[in-house]
Amino acid sequence: MSTKVTITPFKKVLIANRGEIALRVIRTLREMNIKSVAIYSEADRNSLHVRMADEAVCIGAAPSPLSYLDIDAVVTAAKVTGADAVHPGYGFLSENADFARAVTKASMVFIGPTAEAIDMLGVKSTAREIALKGGVPITPGSDGVVGKNYHEVARKIGFPIMIKAALGGGGKGMRECLREEDLDRMMKTAQGEAKANFGDDRMYFEKLVLNPRHIEVQMAADNYGNVVAFAERDCSMQRRHQKLVEESPSPFVDEATRAKLQEAACRLAKAANYRGVGTVEFLMAQNKEFYFMEVNTRLQVEHPVTESVCGYDLVKMQIQIAQGEPLHVTQKEAGAVKCHAIEHRINAENSAQNFTPCPGTITEWIPAGGLGVRVDSHVYTGYTIPSYYDSLIAKLIVTAPDREKLLSRCRRCLGEFKIGGVETTIPFHQKIVNNPDFVAGNMDTGLIERMMAEDKKASESKK
Amino acid sequence: MDTKLIKEVTDWLKTTDLAEFCYEKDGDCIEVKTREALPEPAQFTCSLTAVCAPAIGIYKTAAKGKNLVLKEGDTVKEGDSLGVVESVSKQHPVTAPVAGKLRIIAAEDGKPVEFNQPMFFIEP
Repeated sequence: MSTKVTITPFKKVLIANRGEIALRVIRTLREMNIKSVAIYSEADRNSLHVRMADEAVCIGAAPSPLSYLDIDAVVTAAKVTGADAVHPGYGFLSENADFARAVTKASMVFIGPTAEAIDMLGVKSTAREIALKGGVPITPGSDGVVGKNYHEVARKIGFPIMIKAALGGGGKGMRECLREEDLDRMMKTAQGEAKANFGDDRMYFEKLVLNPRHIEVQMAADNYGNVVAFAERDCSMQRRHQKLVEESPSPFVDEATRAKLQEAACRLAKAANYRGVGTVEFLMAQNKEFYFMEVNTRLQVEHPVTESVCGYDLVKMQIQIAQGEPLHVTQKEAGAVKCHAIEHRINAENSAQNFTPCPGTITEWIPAGGLGVRVDSHVYTGYTIPSYYDSLIAKLIVTAPDREKLLSRCRRCLGEFKIGGVETTIPFHQKIVNNPDFVAGNMDTGLIERMMAEDKKASESKK
Repeated sequence: MDTKLIKEVTDWLKTTDLAEFCYEKDGDCIEVKTREALPEPAQFTCSLTAVCAPAIGIYKTAAKGKNLVLKEGDTVKEGDSLGVVESVSKQHPVTAPVAGKLRIIAAEDGKPVEFNQPMFFIEP
């Protein structure tokens, strides 16, 4: 370590967020003897994060653009309360480079990566360039419009491929091509459609990953070039890119693939000159080949899964890095798999009605408990869920020594978790933990949609 | 209870301008109140209009270089400046929503205010 280490301990941190994540951050701050400042909109006056923080200030009206997304109001709140750092949480302004810049400009520390890193990794093309630079596999493609030699290009990428119109959008001029025998025919129909819709029949190819898994790697980097990566999370159980269940380690990933994933994540963090905690998301094919998707330059909703598996407090790690401390863990410690963990996202949504949000007042609140159970939530009996924000009301994180014991524990916990007054995703989670594919560990990003289709079929045949 | 008697009494009361009528049978007690004897109902309506902070920030009675002194009892016109709330990158003007007398000044020059915090009360 050649760079000089300068540590500036924080005395007071403002949390630029609401809900369970604001509480989550307040808890770690309290353990670190750092004062916390909560911000709230007028709709959140009775929220638990307001009550639990050392100080709380109202920053704006209920709609998030007028409060939690208002950079000027949030930075002003931090300034007038005398905070020396700002924790962005997830969502809202957490991946907004302008916000990071505004915090720094107001002489406070943004607990997260630099604005430059957020900017670079936030744009798909530059993120892909960084991945290439770091030797991280990206989805192969034609790198531009294909010419007459398109057979050769397709063969080089390897089937199956996706044919896409250069000026396309909304699924028009797009064709899946599974075998070379179909290529001419698929190319013709896609071109015809593109010509009719966009007046342009130029095409490009992308590798098509069939039944992919969403595998992501949590990493942490300090100011001195040290990077560690944690055991992967399998977030294949998602619906329209909304994750519902996250698991670590993935039942699909073996030791060798795990090492490759972690190396790739670390190389990418180094190539981006990354600082703080972040997540590198990959798409994994059924042959365990993986391709870079994107980097989340913030703490993630599902971070407790990793905390349970490795035993470290990731929020504490974020704060320590922001204070200028070098990483306190080695790769061996960070990558350790101490148990198996699953997170169930409990949303106030009606899963029987296409997951429509159900805001309302909680009349009964009996969270699950016992060994290996963690519930991160801002809800209490009598709490009214405002309709302005997302519908996440609790995260149920369950751990056990192995996956089989874990699934029994998940079933037990979901059975004893009682929430009255609003519809929740608990019944759907109960279906998931009893689904034969999920139980066998055969998840891919399409499983939830297939489960919903089966449900629909079953309810229609009953009628 | 003798409902017939109650009906007779209430019907009779309508023909009088009595407001209250008590009657006890065996103790021979009659109590009568006319309308004039009733107390005036208490007035709880507040006639003051609150002026709330338009944003979170530091309240300044006047922009830099200008001087504005506000005192309780001052008369203000609708739209009159009552100062500004300064955030890190903006100036949010505070103006009188109605004409009237400044009854209460709750904001202090140079002190932080939260969003929607009452700063002044005007009696229209």
